[in-house]
Amino acid sequence: MKPAPFEYIRCSSLDEAIRALSDLGEEAKLLAGGQSLVPMLNMRLVRPKALVDINGVQSLSYIREEDGWLAIGSLTRQRDIEKSPLVKAAHPLLHEATLHIGHPQIRNRGTIGGSIAHAFPSAEYPAVVVAVDGRIKVVGPSGERTVPARQFFTGIMSTALDVGEVIAEVQVPRLAQDSGWGFVEFTRRHGDFAIAGAIAIVQQDGPVVRNAEVTVFGVGPVPVVCQAASQALIGEQHGDTAVARAAEAVERDLQEVEVISDVHASADYRRHLARVMVKRALLQALERARSARP
Amino acid sequence: MSKKHAIRLTVNGRQYEAEVEPRVTLVDFLRHQLGLTGTHVGCEHGVCGACTVMVNGRAVRSCLMLAVQADGAEVVTIEGLSEDGRLHPIQEAFAEAHGLQCGFCTPGFVMSAYELLTRESEVDEGTIKEVLGGVLCRCTGYKAIYESVQLAARKMGKMPA
Amino acid sequence: MVSQAEWHLPRSLEELPISSPRYIGKPVRKVEAPPLLTGRAQFADDLDLPGMLHCAILRSPYGHARIKRIDVSAALELPGVVAVVTGQDMQQWVRPMGGIPSGWGTHCLAVDKVRFVGEPIAAVAAVDRHTAEDALDLIEVEFEPLPAVVNALEAKEEGAPLLYEDKGTNVMFHRLFTWGDAAKAFQEADHVLTEQFRWHRLGANPIETFGVIAQWDPVENAVTCWGSFQAPSFSAMGIAGALGLPLSKVKLVPMAHGGSFGGKGNPRGALIAAVLSRKAGGRPVKWIEDRLEYLMAGGGQAWERFYEASIAVKNDGTILGIRIKLVDDIGASGENSGAISAIKPLAAFTGCYAIPAAQYEVTMVATNKNPQSAYRGMGPPAHYVVLEGMVDIAARHLGLDPAEMRRRNFIPPDRFPYTIPSGNEYDSGNYPALLDRLLEMSSYQELRRQQEELRRQGRLVGLGLVSAVEPGAFNMNVYTILGVPAGTAVPEGATVALDPFGSVRVTVGFALEGQGQYTFVTQLMADYFCVTPDQVKVTCTDTLSAPVHFGPGGSRLAVALTGAVLGAAEALRRKLETAASYLLGCEPGQVEMMDGMLRVKGQPERRMSWQEVVGAMSARPDLFPPGMDLSTQATYVWVPPDRNMPDEQGRAKSYLTAAAACHLALVEVDPETGKVDVLKYWVVDDCGTRLNPATVAGMTQGGVAQGIGAALMEEYVYDADGQLLTTTFMDYLLPTIYEVPPVESAEMVTPSPFTPLGVKGMGEGPMISAPAAVICAVNDALAPLGVRVTDVPASPARVWQAIAQARGQG
Repeated sequence: MKPAPFEYIRCSSLDEAIRALSDLGEEAKLLAGGQSLVPMLNMRLVRPKALVDINGVQSLSYIREEDGWLAIGSLTRQRDIEKSPLVKAAHPLLHEATLHIGHPQIRNRGTIGGSIAHAFPSAEYPAVVVAVDGRIKVVGPSGERTVPARQFFTGIMSTALDVGEVIAEVQVPRLAQDSGWGFVEFTRRHGDFAIAGAIAIVQQDGPVVRNAEVTVFGVGPVPVVCQAASQALIGEQHGDTAVARAAEAVERDLQEVEVISDVHASADYRRHLARVMVKRALLQALERARSARP
Repeated sequence: MSKKHAIRLTVNGRQYEAEVEPRVTLVDFLRHQLGLTGTHVGCEHGVCGACTVMVNGRAVRSCLMLAVQADGAEVVTIEGLSEDGRLHPIQEAFAEAHGLQCGFCTPGFVMSAYELLTRESEVDEGTIKEVLGGVLCRCTGYKAIYESVQLAARKMGKMPA
Repeated sequence: MVSQAEWHLPRSLEELPISSPRYIGKPVRKVEAPPLLTGRAQFADDLDLPGMLHCAILRSPYGHARIKRIDVSAALELPGVVAVVTGQDMQQWVRPMGGIPSGWGTHCLAVDKVRFVGEPIAAVAAVDRHTAEDALDLIEVEFEPLPAVVNALEAKEEGAPLLYEDKGTNVMFHRLFTWGDAAKAFQEADHVLTEQFRWHRLGANPIETFGVIAQWDPVENAVTCWGSFQAPSFSAMGIAGALGLPLSKVKLVPMAHGGSFGGKGNPRGALIAAVLSRKAGGRPVKWIEDRLEYLMAGGGQAWERFYEASIAVKNDGTILGIRIKLVDDIGASGENSGAISAIKPLAAFTGCYAIPAAQYEVTMVATNKNPQSAYRGMGPPAHYVVLEGMVDIAARHLGLDPAEMRRRNFIPPDRFPYTIPSGNEYDSGNYPALLDRLLEMSSYQELRRQQEELRRQGRLVGLGLVSAVEPGAFNMNVYTILGVPAGTAVPEGATVALDPFGSVRVTVGFALEGQGQYTFVTQLMADYFCVTPDQVKVTCTDTLSAPVHFGPGGSRLAVALTGAVLGAAEALRRKLETAASYLLGCEPGQVEMMDGMLRVKGQPERRMSWQEVVGAMSARPDLFPPGMDLSTQATYVWVPPDRNMPDEQGRAKSYLTAAAACHLALVEVDPETGKVDVLKYWVVDDCGTRLNPATVAGMTQGGVAQGIGAALMEEYVYDADGQLLTTTFMDYLLPTIYEVPPVESAEMVTPSPFTPLGVKGMGEGPMISAPAAVICAVNDALAPLGVRVTDVPASPARVWQAIAQARGQG
């Protein structure tokens, strides 16, 4: 269980990395935290000709707030996001999601950019950036572009990144003051990939749900924004009945989705779990929204 | 074989210079090039945690890091904890509280606890469990490992007695 | 060497030649700990020999296929590659491995056919592991895929694809055992209840995989293997047999193990490395099984079973009989000892109960999967899920509390030694007392009351209470049923040597594995010879120099090793007493050893220390009569007393000890997801005299963790073509600290009348009882819904399926 041979290129700037990646084309892989890539190398599931290591690009490691958005450098370690007082205050949902990524020893190395570029269906960060309608800033040979997270993930472990492009920054809008959020996952063990997970963000006007955003992950190839579930809730009196209806509506949101089936859960069971997770995320979110109101 | 890279790093306070093939993981380098065989390999895909070492003050899976990436780094392994044959308080606590059986995963637990107890000023049941949750043990069922770390935390003044 | 019949070994701590024990029986720190805690203990992969090569193994991608052609020429040309072997070399140099059942062995590298995904086909020795793996990519194999058969129920039918065409069947073994008048029991019953159970594949998965370094000596025609051998002398016999060498030419050097649990017994690795070393002109060859290899093709898969069980009960709860039909999916061959697991339940078939009649029908079937191996508990964990599950089903049917149902059927404490229908004899026990203690410790009645209340709130909370007997001090006599060449003894020997400076050196034949045997030997010898523990040193030696031994396995070393070192110590004591009589000027027979002093009986002031006596024996032979044995070391080989060969129904006195335990699990089932959380766990156990209570507590907690893994999480899943789908630790789920609650435990002590110090084997017990306790708890939780889960593990998907079925959605 040892990697096949590859060349190793250490970069100290983003430009250098982009140049190396463009030169080498599809046969090169970017190495960030390595928590997903190195196991695949060890198993010889991927055999790149070269690895382009950006761990030396210090300028990609930061957490800042700009105009109501959190901007996080792609090389920022998950552990630093978890421990960041700014993230905890400005984006408790992101903080909570981070706690669900593997274990501290994994988060010590794993990066936000790596998690998003890897685009595993059950990964937390792709789900969060989709749920909050965030943006991914990528830099490539032809310059910089910002991709809405909801267009970034294109399939299981595939993204809108072009050859030579590198994720530079992940941008998530600050949650509105009056919003409540919920984040739940169903895993076999603590720290495992989610078999199904859901994120809910709601706002209320008195007892009436003004706005709801529901996202499920780990269920389809990419995080699924559940319009039907959200619509089922908006304008309703919050309460168990409305939540149950919204959870049922997830079925419609998943109609066009190719639901994953594996040794832990059949597609049917996953659909069911998605409904349960949505219900639980909504209950959390509504509870938080209630206490968030002045 | 691909081109070897020259690296310099500090391991357990000692400077090393070596040539490594890029595909050699940090754990294989420590074990087979430096002869520091106290760090163990259990799965080579980042799940079991037996290979946990400290790199620049953080506990990481050394099977998921390339040796070439440790260039310039400061690494601490299980061999670096005891001084002059005196066990570190964490090692002492594991011996006292029967926190090991076969001992193969033990370096992973000890190094994970080491990060926690050297970085945090105060720990509790939740924070201890969180780091122990990242390492698998097949012998002990974890209770004695938890108690060992709790005992170490007390010895090190990180937890009220 | 001294034979076992010559004297009576101390049956209790009181019989030791000391006023009171200072170490034995106390929670003494492990002597094994410091090297393990500092990274200095040496495991197989830590050893680096001059000129050493590294082996990688090419494995079958097919469940079942014919090998048409293998071309290794490109691999041989890769720089750094020194040798390559294929099945052809093996046919020339290695005999097929023996099998259990006998006749079902195979070659260590596939010859003509592959029969499971991961089966070794060829192997490379190269300058490093990376290069060896690179070379595997260059080996060309042409396969003709054959239909695979992966379900034992299908495989045993006529017309199924055959793994071994010459056998004409996939059925490896079939036998119906009848004990007592089972027909009458079922006729006279007020109720006969039947259920099916399915136990899915799981296995040992120690954190260290198997590793070996083999070095062929081309001049001597001999081989040395360093490795994680659990039963070194028995492995040596297997390797010698396969290589066609006398045992004197096979030296196995056991290294520290990172756990074993039975899961390191596969002989292929050592044979492959040995032949590679031979081809490489005698350079040492290291093979370290990686985790993917372990999961796919190592010794980590055990017990895959289809059960059908019936229980015959009277209205008052009395169990009259039990019938169990087992179809065991052994996998692609009998090369590992997995088949033994189906027969081991004979040693405790009817558990803690006085059930007069039983029937057991066993069918072992070959399928295109990794051959079953040993795993902690060796079969009874699955058996007790069935037995205890049936007791619960009967209790529920009769409206009896599970505790009461068990109490009514316990073997009464005054009937020991007790012979069970399947032939084994239980040495001692007090099961009602165990149960009482458990009920009291857990506040059982209060738990039941709380459960009622939670059920009213719609919560699915369950209690699983089980009792089980753990056959201890493993014996092979019953396995002659499977053609295992064995007798009535599994011996364990130890050598104890004394020196004038006060050191006690103990030599054994097995390496560190985690159970703390070196610690209890140290405790015992420190007490026996009145020295400090650091004056005692236990050393493991290789198979050419070690005393006859088996090593750990089958809950035996607490008993067998205590017997071996005590036997040697007693032999030394007699020598010292005789020698001292000359030094003290009295008749032999007048001297006794007490608290490390040799003293004249009735005249305690006439005495000398054993160190002085040893000094004289070593340096002053002139003080003793000519011809007297003055060596200050002794070897003793312990064998279990009073065992016999099985009769026509497989009945034999097999395992010498019967430790027992009552376990209680409290679980909650998430009604929406089917996920089970083990909230609390209690154990009361009785393993006779405890040599080191901290070790027992550690084994208990660890065994319960494995039991929880077995009951809820661990499973090898194959698809219809025999592809393993759970190939990593992301999919084969070992429990973490979050899935295992701390066990609250209490002890009872009913010493064995048959063993040294009254010790009983207990290493497997917690794993034997825990799966049953958790499964019974899950089914207790589901009881209000009127459904049961009888598939193990009770994964969330399966539990949810049962709940959905109850709610009419399934």
